Amino acid sequence: MLYIVLFFLMFSLLLYVILAGADFGAGIVELFSTKKNQQLTKKTLYRVMGPVWEANHIWIIILVVILWVGFPKFYNVLSVFLHIPLTLVLLGITMRGVAFVFRHYDAFKDKSQILYDWMFRISSLITPIFLGTTVGSMISGQLIITESFEDYNFVELFVQPWFNGFSILVGLFFAALCTFLASILLIGESHANDRHVYVTKAEKATAAVVGIGFIVICYGFYHEITFVTDFIKNPLTLGGVILSFILIFPLVQSIKKAKKVTSRALAGIQVTLILAAAVMTHFPILIIGYNTQINLIESASPEKVINVLAISLIIGGAVILPGLFHLMKSFKMIKVLDD
Amino acid sequence: MDNLDAARLQMAFTLIFHIVFACVGMVMPFFMIVAHKKWLNTKDPVYLKLTKSWQKGVAIFFVVGAVSGTALSFELGLLWPEFMKHAGPIIGMPFSLEGAAFFVEAIALGFYLYGWDKIPEKFHWFTGVIVGVSGVASGILVVSANGWMNAPSGFDYINGEFVNIDPVQALLNPAWFTQALHMTLAAFTATGFAVAGIHAYQIYKRRHLDLHKKAFKIAITFGAVAAILQPISGDLSAKDIAERQPVKLAAMEAHYETKKGAPLLIGGIVNEETREVTHKIEIPKALSFLAFGDFDAEVKGLNDFPEDVHPNVPIVHYAFQIMVGIGTLLLLVGLLFFISLIKKSWWEKRKFWLLFALLGPFGFIALEAGWIVTEVGRQPWIIHNIMRTKDAVTPMPGMIYSFYMYMGLYGILTIAVTWLMMRQIKSLNHPYLK
Repeated sequence: MLYIVLFFLMFSLLLYVILAGADFGAGIVELFSTKKNQQLTKKTLYRVMGPVWEANHIWIIILVVILWVGFPKFYNVLSVFLHIPLTLVLLGITMRGVAFVFRHYDAFKDKSQILYDWMFRISSLITPIFLGTTVGSMISGQLIITESFEDYNFVELFVQPWFNGFSILVGLFFAALCTFLASILLIGESHANDRHVYVTKAEKATAAVVGIGFIVICYGFYHEITFVTDFIKNPLTLGGVILSFILIFPLVQSIKKAKKVTSRALAGIQVTLILAAAVMTHFPILIIGYNTQINLIESASPEKVINVLAISLIIGGAVILPGLFHLMKSFKMIKVLDD
Repeated sequence: MDNLDAARLQMAFTLIFHIVFACVGMVMPFFMIVAHKKWLNTKDPVYLKLTKSWQKGVAIFFVVGAVSGTALSFELGLLWPEFMKHAGPIIGMPFSLEGAAFFVEAIALGFYLYGWDKIPEKFHWFTGVIVGVSGVASGILVVSANGWMNAPSGFDYINGEFVNIDPVQALLNPAWFTQALHMTLAAFTATGFAVAGIHAYQIYKRRHLDLHKKAFKIAITFGAVAAILQPISGDLSAKDIAERQPVKLAAMEAHYETKKGAPLLIGGIVNEETREVTHKIEIPKALSFLAFGDFDAEVKGLNDFPEDVHPNVPIVHYAFQIMVGIGTLLLLVGLLFFISLIKKSWWEKRKFWLLFALLGPFGFIALEAGWIVTEVGRQPWIIHNIMRTKDAVTPMPGMIYSFYMYMGLYGILTIAVTWLMMRQIKSLNHPYLK
């Protein structure tokens, strides 16, 4: 049963990264576009994402609930020692959600749109950066996990672990990854005349992902961050990342041939590979602190709780997944064949 | 202000904000589907316009409710890590089921909002029903988790450890039913009166009478029925609390002296120093009857409980008075509405509409007051008789800054959403807009 819960945990994480990630990324694309293309992106995003927008962002709630029910000690470490970046993530999520509804549901489309648009774009950039930073801090080796709070000062315990080069670089990497996902999504949804806009964006985003990814690894290697040195040493994880890199070539081909489904599938596989490699490096140890490591499986709740959680997830999944699939199909977000 | 107070204020503030959006998002779909059904049956375009307008309201409230709910799901851990570490696994079931119900609601809402002219008419309407039903289900599940904090069950507490956890028993804790019933009816009352109040004001201003009268009738019917049923649920809750949380009951009534045949206090000013209530109206023996169904039953007073388990008596007492007072008022006005269906001439009088317009916000005031009664009344416990709130708070100092940040953010959001809703209503009266 524990493995069913772990499966749902990873599954929700993956879906959140891909679905919400593409949505965050679209806001970033908009932020770095010319005025004319900003409106184009806004419209396209709304057309593609509108019906599933709310659903995409619920994966994080599922993720949090699985963590606190199934792995309370693990979640406890995150919520105590990464309080500040998580609060900043929440700030971003709130601003972004509100800006999204405001800009699409305001009865009058007047100057107030400018404000909503900027709120949306800026929070689209900030939220994934802090999300990535939070994940970066978990593996940065700087997290001091302790019960004796008097022995350390505020900065050492609550700021330094996330406000450091490595964590912030991971944050930037995640934002770049979101932008990459969004531009691939937008290429498939735009009219023939506008495609080049997103193809250029996709090229830049890919360069950013590869570039920042490379810097993260170099930085980690130079500063001897355990996670990074182990990541490079492990043939499986390194292989995953290299494979993800190689897939760029077929991706470029499929974009050239305007194969919407193939290119999205490739981009999805690339992100999955990166995520899987990162999780696998030390699995089940997912927090590598300064003084302690936290093993996800060892922090699991008693068996009875896990069993009930697994059953709830299976029932929930049986209701939700077909519904979600049907929703995507009805609004032609999934096409079985390339057109 | 110390860390505990800042964390408690932040929690209170974010809940007070979220609860409004959650309730509207949960109840308004029902108004929407009734209007939608009337459009399908009568093909009167006014109902279509009304449905589409309400659907925008639902969408706005749903998203703001969803993001503030996401924030809350994190805040539980961020503010009360020690609580979540132990309680998380026990009350995981209502929360995971709530997550699922909420997800279903989001999917159904996707179908509903974007399904006009794209999916079959009847299926489209039915997705609206799912939005409403799953919304109410998630509300009930969240309240069940709160019920567990008042009536912890489904575990053994041995030497400071929570063992033999039974999540199903925790879900079906003794408080879940009374609390969920009371909350659901409160949500319908508050939203019904608020929406009806907005439309009543438009009628008072003599705008689009046809549309607003139709809207008023749908919303107030839900609100009035719920308001009339609420005292039954309130009675169940009172008896429940008398048995399980006698300190909370004593604080609600500012009842200091243990007495047989205890009177019910209406209003009054609490003097904590002298432990007396002045300027009150007393109904003899009524408290004993309401709490135990016996006019001569003994009701234990606050003086017989150790001081370190007393909640803040004035806050709980005043909040309770506000809730009951407004509840009674809305019940009477609800009856007035049903009489007006016979005495049709009332609908022509402006005073009638002014009354409903003025009462618009009162349901929500009562609802917030009710939450204050149950939450402040539970103090000093975060898990009744098991864990104190002060032992659950985050060890991270400086919570006051986090509180200021949330207060600023949610303050701005409140103003912004109000402004947005005013523009929605304005557009409804605009002849050139759809």
